[in-house]
Amino acid sequence: MKAFKILSLVAIVLMFVTSACEEIDSAEHLKLLDPDNVDANAGSWTMILPITNNQFAASVPAPAATTAPAYINELTAIKTAQARLTSSEKKIVQYWGAGGVLRWNQIMRELVAKYALAPAPNADGTYPVPIAENPWGDPAFPFANPPYAARAYAYVSIGQYEALKSAWYFKYQYNRPAPYVTDQGVQALLPQSTLPSYPSEDAVLSGVTAELLKLLFPGEVDFINSKASEQRYAAMWAGKATTSDISAGLALGNAVAGYLTAPGTGRFRTDGMGAAGGTKAQWDVLIDSAKLHYTKIGIDASNEIFWKSMDAPARPPMLPFFGNVRGWFLTPDQFKAERAALGPPPSTSSEQMKEELAEVYNETEKVDRDKLHIVHFWADGGGTYTPPGHWNDIAADYVEEANFSEVRAARAFAYLNGTMLDAAVGCWGVKYYWFNPRPSQLDPSIKTLTGLPNFPSYTSGHSTFSASASVVLSYLFPAGAATFQDYLREASISRLYGRIHYRTDIEKGNTHGIAIGNYAVTFASNDGAN
Amino acid sequence: MKYTFTLLLIFSLAVCGYSQTLTDGLMMSKGNLCTGFMYSHDKWKNYWEGELERDNGNIGEITTQSITWVGNYGITNKINLIAMVPYVMTKASQGVLHDMQGIQDLSIGVKYHFFSKAWEGKSTFKAFGVLNFSTPLTDYTPDFLPLSIGMASTNLSGRLTTYFKLDKGWFVNASGGYTMRSNVELDRPSYYTGDQLYNTNEVDMPNVFDLFASIGYLKNGLQAELNLMQQNTLGGYDIRRQDMPFVSNKMNFTKAGALVMYYLPQVKNLALRAAGSYTLSGRNVGQSTTIMGGVLYTFHFSKND
Repeated sequence: MKAFKILSLVAIVLMFVTSACEEIDSAEHLKLLDPDNVDANAGSWTMILPITNNQFAASVPAPAATTAPAYINELTAIKTAQARLTSSEKKIVQYWGAGGVLRWNQIMRELVAKYALAPAPNADGTYPVPIAENPWGDPAFPFANPPYAARAYAYVSIGQYEALKSAWYFKYQYNRPAPYVTDQGVQALLPQSTLPSYPSEDAVLSGVTAELLKLLFPGEVDFINSKASEQRYAAMWAGKATTSDISAGLALGNAVAGYLTAPGTGRFRTDGMGAAGGTKAQWDVLIDSAKLHYTKIGIDASNEIFWKSMDAPARPPMLPFFGNVRGWFLTPDQFKAERAALGPPPSTSSEQMKEELAEVYNETEKVDRDKLHIVHFWADGGGTYTPPGHWNDIAADYVEEANFSEVRAARAFAYLNGTMLDAAVGCWGVKYYWFNPRPSQLDPSIKTLTGLPNFPSYTSGHSTFSASASVVLSYLFPAGAATFQDYLREASISRLYGRIHYRTDIEKGNTHGIAIGNYAVTFASNDGAN
Repeated sequence: MKYTFTLLLIFSLAVCGYSQTLTDGLMMSKGNLCTGFMYSHDKWKNYWEGELERDNGNIGEITTQSITWVGNYGITNKINLIAMVPYVMTKASQGVLHDMQGIQDLSIGVKYHFFSKAWEGKSTFKAFGVLNFSTPLTDYTPDFLPLSIGMASTNLSGRLTTYFKLDKGWFVNASGGYTMRSNVELDRPSYYTGDQLYNTNEVDMPNVFDLFASIGYLKNGLQAELNLMQQNTLGGYDIRRQDMPFVSNKMNFTKAGALVMYYLPQVKNLALRAAGSYTLSGRNVGQSTTIMGGVLYTFHFSKND
């Protein structure tokens, strides 16, 4: 009996020791990029921005011939570098060999998660505002909340896509073969491709991405620069690009970023983000304008309850004027029309609202473990890569699986993130138009299973983001459509399970998101890439 | 911050007659079973976000209550089996976050009295080794701190305890333990901690080192002691500014406490027990005040005693 006890204890201990000490693998593993199709005609695909390839011709002058002494010297430099590559340099080559679009997408998600934290309150109950000039302060800059993140993902993805199309245009204009094709002495450390090497697509990506990311995450300049520099070195060490391929690529990437971010005129500077936070005086009139919107449709606003911050101390509303930010695939009039099509939320004094509130109350009064799993799987709240980041995470698997060329991978993320920025703009526009209160405000006995977002309830941001993403991903990856539908349903209903949204918020959010996603799909269907 | 609870169980919950716990220098005799229930009430308002002490209007005060079944059986005079199962309830006094409750972890420990030396009529020195295993009995989430009911890791700890007692009743006790913790799984596919995004739902839990020391009096059915406990998490990262606590955070603390245990003279084998502790300093934990009480009964299955 005693021996049995000791034996079973030893068995438990052994089981434990073997299971406890497994290393966590934090990296997102990707296979090496080896596209089925190089997309040689991508230089003619439609630009999302109002730009032309010729606009950037100065960054990509005609290259030297492959027989020119200057070029021969560049090939020699690659061979010299390859002869003394260290193992850590080889790792860098493998890392970037998975594709710059996917790698930068991972890096971006990490940066968003790092900065997705709201400012802590001051001692007097006010909240400090993050300041771009002081990114390491308290609070850090930025507060990468979902709209901020959606915009960041969109600028980087669309910037990459435009820059790569342009790169493809020049590649096939100049048709300079890869170094490992011209010179048998240059090793190809990554899968070979017929893609012309001038300008280097890796350098294009490093330039356009780094310049945009540094503005979005100014506290990360050193980190971003080092990643960008690694990516360019990796291209050379891999035998994919020479110095002139890389410098032309970098110039082109920088030029596209420069077009977007030109002080005073660039889209990035003038899209309305600067005014999206608003001022105290502007916040105060938000409810008054919401009242007018109710009056306009014949509802007595004096009986309505309007959203207020449930944070303690009360926190200023999150980006109340984000609905005015410029969208990618909808015009301001189209945003307005889609908002009007949704109509108002149920009046807070209506029978319908009473029923919906009761549904929220009953949904999770007693915590159901399976529902809690769904709530937390999709919560994507503070300190995470946010809901748009989650959809990027999902998309990354499909992009990798599809063996896309860099430019087609960029296309996928451009439409995905473009539409999610549109979803953010549309949804935030609706939220602050109606100023509808959260369930916990109408019934303080409703306790939530995830953080309560600090902005009005109608409509659900998760439901809108997810619907737009699901529409675009279903277009890009038809085989995954059923899966994306499941994700959409689960991500949306998770907000009801979490007790932070009414059913109407979710259903209307889905309707809105699908409509918004369709604008991107319409654009994508006619861009010449199919 | 809930983790404080688990360790409190190890540290100061009594398991029976003259407090045979995992950390003390006492044993249950062969064939005896001491069992009962302990109630614990733990509350904090301030907590350390990294090293910054603060409060948070969105949670107010966090209260954790637990009812724990405890049992200590004397396999031999030198080997005891100690088991516990707590039911835990958490609640925030402010804000909108839902409370949590449920059965937490089963803990089973073997305590071995391997060394003893007595100075006739004067004093005794004893040494003990403890091997303790604990594992969640339910699939509660550890990812809703500070309201999660536990950390959801499966733990294995080794402990060495030394005990010196004067026959007049005074004693000192010192114990050190090392706990290995299994990885835990979250409901979400990624998380950020320590300057890095982890694209997995699996979290590496740093191991834990703790020290416990007490000084007190034990005679004629009365045990009274003052104690000090220190826990250091060997790894993990700080809570970020205005972030929620995370399961693998570096959670350290120093607590001071007191304990009184009394065998009722009127009712044979029935003991009452009360204990309390206060967190003097910490990192990524709440500055909690804990009070505990319990009723324990000893059954004598062996005629030899």
